[in-house]
Amino acid sequence: MSAIIEVRDLRKTFRVSERESGLRATLRAFVKRRYTDVPAVAGISFTIDAGEIVGFLGPNGAGKTTTLKALSGLLYPTGGEARVLGFVPWRRENAYLQQMTLLMGNRSQLVWDIPAADSFRVLQEIYKIPDEQFRRTLEELVELLDLEPLVHKPVRQLSLGERMKVEFAAGLLHSPKVAFLDEPTIGLDVSMQAKIRKFVAEHNRRTGATVLLTSHYMADVVALCKRVIVIHRGKLLYDGGLAALASRMAPYKLIGVTLRDGADGDGLAQYGEIASRDDARVTLHVPRDDAPSRAARLVNDLGDRLVDISVEDPPIEDVIDKVFTSESVS
Amino acid sequence: MIATYRTLLVGQFQQASQYRVSMFLYLLFSLIRPIIFLAAWSAVAAARGGAVGGFTVADFAGYYVCMGLVLHFTTAWNAYEFEFEVAQGRLSPKLLRPLHPLHYSVVENLTWKAFTAFGLFPALVVIAITFHARFETQWWNVALFVPSLLLGAALRFFLGWVVAAAAFWTTRVNAVVTLFDRTAFIFAGQIAPLALMPGILQTLSYVLPFGYWIGVPTDILRGGASLEQSLVWMAGQVAWLIASYALFQIVWRAGVREYSAAGA
Repeated sequence: MSAIIEVRDLRKTFRVSERESGLRATLRAFVKRRYTDVPAVAGISFTIDAGEIVGFLGPNGAGKTTTLKALSGLLYPTGGEARVLGFVPWRRENAYLQQMTLLMGNRSQLVWDIPAADSFRVLQEIYKIPDEQFRRTLEELVELLDLEPLVHKPVRQLSLGERMKVEFAAGLLHSPKVAFLDEPTIGLDVSMQAKIRKFVAEHNRRTGATVLLTSHYMADVVALCKRVIVIHRGKLLYDGGLAALASRMAPYKLIGVTLRDGADGDGLAQYGEIASRDDARVTLHVPRDDAPSRAARLVNDLGDRLVDISVEDPPIEDVIDKVFTSESVS
Repeated sequence: MIATYRTLLVGQFQQASQYRVSMFLYLLFSLIRPIIFLAAWSAVAAARGGAVGGFTVADFAGYYVCMGLVLHFTTAWNAYEFEFEVAQGRLSPKLLRPLHPLHYSVVENLTWKAFTAFGLFPALVVIAITFHARFETQWWNVALFVPSLLLGAALRFFLGWVVAAAAFWTTRVNAVVTLFDRTAFIFAGQIAPLALMPGILQTLSYVLPFGYWIGVPTDILRGGASLEQSLVWMAGQVAWLIASYALFQIVWRAGVREYSAAGA
């Protein structure tokens, strides 16, 4: 495997004006502005190999989108280095732009007044996509995204989900080797989110494209990313496997027990810490390593009283939340 | 690049055809200024015994008909839209394509000018007939007018981009654009033919780039200058075009470094 994305000590600081509230402060700011430097990305380093799908996680304002913008070439960083496909992104050389895409879930790059099919033709010409390749790629995208009924309608008449699918097609028409996806499923309903996820996975499988994905929907991350990079306040907190993150940040499992005679839970505390009770179901926190033996004991001890039992990892949202709260990964 | 332009033009035509009303308004904008000033100068000329500084009503009509044509084909409004593009982050997808954002503006300008030209020509003919416009145009005027018009359009286009690039540093670039337009309004030959401008203002018109945008192609078309004078003016157009292009390159490169892609 060779590194397709290499980032070393990347920094981006924004200079923002600030003032206190009130008329006096407004007048003072009119005469003399006060500026503060806000480090959006404060020196992060990582590499991503060809064909990987990596989840880029962090709370709002963590610096995810800023990093993606710098790696796609939109932003000049304040410091550090980055190479994507061997190019320095912010030089925006055509040879680089032809091989990458940045898709933002809340932004449109299509012309609203004309059907997407016409925009696709324009993009074919801009990216110099040979006719045969264009036809083949478009057919593939139309099939994967079920676009046939959509591409001949003006973009402004499409629903949000439909537009997002068409945006995906527009962003991938030139078969980019690297795709930066920033909240690609934001605002979409559950079914459409699942379709987009399936599409990204299938596209990655078919083309081998490298994907760096940000999303606040953990389902996106769980479905697509074996590896995650977590940043907070512009600093890298974790870079590694999603499963390993869960076991490090949440070294416990959840055993769900449903009892035939109601869930008063009395007596279950000896098997683990009671996390919740809901009707006939009790959820227990147990140390990760002890989970199989505790579950076996529960089955044995409860006998006929037991209707159902499950052993699960804690929800990834809880794990990530714990990372953000503790601001470190031990 | 020709194939790219052809495809972009088709896309822009499809887009522009959706906006018939705004096309009509744009046409009106091209005509309203020349008509107002033509009417005003006609009144002044009539009050002064038929001429002002050697310009009769017919000369003014000839001048403003030519100016209407020049104004239409050289005006570029990309600076007004650029603030919106930067503030809303609409510039971002364009920056990430292997085609300079400038080309979209060229195509947009060409399309709208072509669409509205169909209404412009008959309107100018009606004005010319109504005011008995006089032209002293010779064959070489027409031959020089075409390159002079293109130079004026390119000059205005790049100057517009230089001004628009202020949007990389300030969120209210329309104030800068408006100042540029008002200055141009005085010095480009819109208020009055440059030949009628008083001393220092006339000098400034030819020192600054504005006169080379509208005044020069207008005077060349209507036959308001000798061949030698026209060629000197065109040399001035070329010089200002080179300067504005160089300036554009400098501010653009500096500007995109400042671009924060806010809202994108």
